Amino acid sequence: MKKFLFVVIFFSFALAANAQLNLNVKAALNNLLRYGSGTETVLGNANPKEYFENVTDARLSVNDIVFGMRYEIDQPIEYGVNFRGIKKRYVEYGNNNVGIDFRAGDFWQIIGRGLSMNSFEDRNQFYDTGIDGVKFSYKHTFGDKSPIKTKGMFLGGRILFNDYLVPTRVETYDIRNGNFEISPIKNLNIGANYVYSIGSVPTAFDTTAIKSYIPEGYGTLTIGNFQMFASYAHKQTNTTPNNSYPTPLVAKGDGFYSSLSYSVAKLGFTLDYKNYRFDLTAPDYRGNDRPTRMLPFQNPPTAVKEHASTLLSRYPHVVDFNDEVGGQFDVVYAPNDKVTFNLNLASASRHYDYKNIGTGALIVYQRVERSSSFIPSMDSTLSPWYEAYVEGEWYASDKLYAKIAYDYQNSVIYDNLNPVSSEKQKVSTIPTEFRYTFTKNYTLKVNFENQFVYNSSMTTKKDFMNELLSLSVSKSPNLSATVSYEWTTSNEEPTGKTAWVLGEVSYKLNTTNSVTVSYGTERGGIRCTNGICRYVRPFEGFRLTINSKF
Amino acid sequence: MKKTIFLLLFVFAFAALSKAQMYYEFTLPDLDGNDVSLSKIVDKSNVVMLSFWATWCTPCKEEMKKMADIYEKYKGQGFEYVALNNDNQKSVSKVKSFITAQGYTFPVLMDSDKKVFEGYSGKDEMPYSVIINKKKEIISVHTGFKTGDDAMIESEIKAALGIK
Repeated sequence: MKKFLFVVIFFSFALAANAQLNLNVKAALNNLLRYGSGTETVLGNANPKEYFENVTDARLSVNDIVFGMRYEIDQPIEYGVNFRGIKKRYVEYGNNNVGIDFRAGDFWQIIGRGLSMNSFEDRNQFYDTGIDGVKFSYKHTFGDKSPIKTKGMFLGGRILFNDYLVPTRVETYDIRNGNFEISPIKNLNIGANYVYSIGSVPTAFDTTAIKSYIPEGYGTLTIGNFQMFASYAHKQTNTTPNNSYPTPLVAKGDGFYSSLSYSVAKLGFTLDYKNYRFDLTAPDYRGNDRPTRMLPFQNPPTAVKEHASTLLSRYPHVVDFNDEVGGQFDVVYAPNDKVTFNLNLASASRHYDYKNIGTGALIVYQRVERSSSFIPSMDSTLSPWYEAYVEGEWYASDKLYAKIAYDYQNSVIYDNLNPVSSEKQKVSTIPTEFRYTFTKNYTLKVNFENQFVYNSSMTTKKDFMNELLSLSVSKSPNLSATVSYEWTTSNEEPTGKTAWVLGEVSYKLNTTNSVTVSYGTERGGIRCTNGICRYVRPFEGFRLTINSKF
Repeated sequence: MKKTIFLLLFVFAFAALSKAQMYYEFTLPDLDGNDVSLSKIVDKSNVVMLSFWATWCTPCKEEMKKMADIYEKYKGQGFEYVALNNDNQKSVSKVKSFITAQGYTFPVLMDSDKKVFEGYSGKDEMPYSVIINKKKEIISVHTGFKTGDDAMIESEIKAALGIK
């Protein structure tokens, strides 16, 4: 009832302020409704599945002050923990002339490229590291002719983090963050950040209290057509003794990321390098609930290409931020305004191999040192992964568009105890897209994707194919209808199916209100966003999405 | 349940009474690190279109290609197109090379923490664009992009510029 009164007061204030004080009052409202009904396959069994989610975001601005809130009904939620009530609320004051920004309540924050602080939300993954607290920032520029720009920021608050793999497991972090940036000359920006957090990390039988200290330094430099960025963060985590960790641990780790980009007319390239060692440890200690691992509000760049193709996105590289070294090289070449080529080469591996030196049933791992651990290795003991992607895009005319790509990935997931059972995988994919506009409003789109997979861990058929054909007709600006047919020659799908058909119709009532309905079978598989990966279960049934803005 | 329904009805009723999307002032860095304020752009222009995009978003790139032509066509008549980049930490390093290689001349600003996107009520779907007039009023909002939508956007821009 208190929450209800809060909402009523919140909105009544707008009307009262508008009527009596003649303030500049504006309001905006977004609503997202999702409903689904069908069956979901869990461990080979088809179970009934129904979800209803309604997310309402409201914002009210009174001059320079913004009030915001989100009312959420997830009963039942599609993936995660059910919820009903006010999930987020905040008040914000910003004044660009003075350079002040203040926010109290719920917010997310990224500093630099996120090595020490990158809290964000992804509802699809049930990932939310939102901070409930306060944030204050101040910008000031000294001088006019050769201005020196400075910015300081402080935030403090609490993060309640539901483990996206085991949603009922909740970690708590009380954090304090101080940040300072200075730009002494136009082309140089230097920043320093410090995060201190007190955390509570539950495991199956215990909860571990931790304290973490994460200093970070970063900088951007632009020289002519070159732009460089580099960032280094060090993390120390101290644990308080308990049954799981009887002796106090002082775990130290670090991460380095840099990028170099060069761009001129028609050509641009970017080279990314990552060296993440936030929690180097033996294979038997790795785990999503390990208290000394990289903390959930840290989220550095993955330095791998994110694919839009359906079949390619089914085979993502799962980045291990605690132990991974690698990089990517990306080239964009546009010889004219009709043609664009993209080349992406990426590689990654673990830093070290671990040998079992125990005898009998006793397992004792010993790290095998490697002098070149700052570069990725193709040695299978280091779980290497590499990818080569090339794409050509052609706007043949106002009516015809074509895109053809080729991707090759090769990976090993090394089994330190039994190397013979290591998973080796090779995936070649050819995604294509063709679009033809018949009249000014009607467009036909065809996507055809072909994928060849070799996976050593398959028991019956190690080589198989995946194919996808998708036909879409759209009438601008309101209507689009898509039918997708996907099939595989693999016989080890969890549902036992070898073909999936899905139909989807989307209708825009106007430019800001749309309804999408889909019916059919969805294959499921690993889905990744920002390096956060989880298995999405196969689904068969009906889905409805209504998106509204007022 | 009754309380929830009543609350939702109240919220929707309020939405019906309220003004549409809000103008949200901001200052963001461009690709060379220069701070750019929206109010200064609006003061110099008759119509401004803000478009939120990311390098991984295929329809965003299609919209941008179409809007580059529209921008060249109407910029002399007071139209300004501003692309606000929402790439996150994993792909932001590719933004400058992509824009320069494509030869785009309109301003591109970095909204890496999506604060401005949130300020204009942006949700998950991209591209997301708003058209603002000289009085700092939102005259149109677009979510997503289909082939052919550029014709509708162009007609809105022409109407806002007073071109017949």
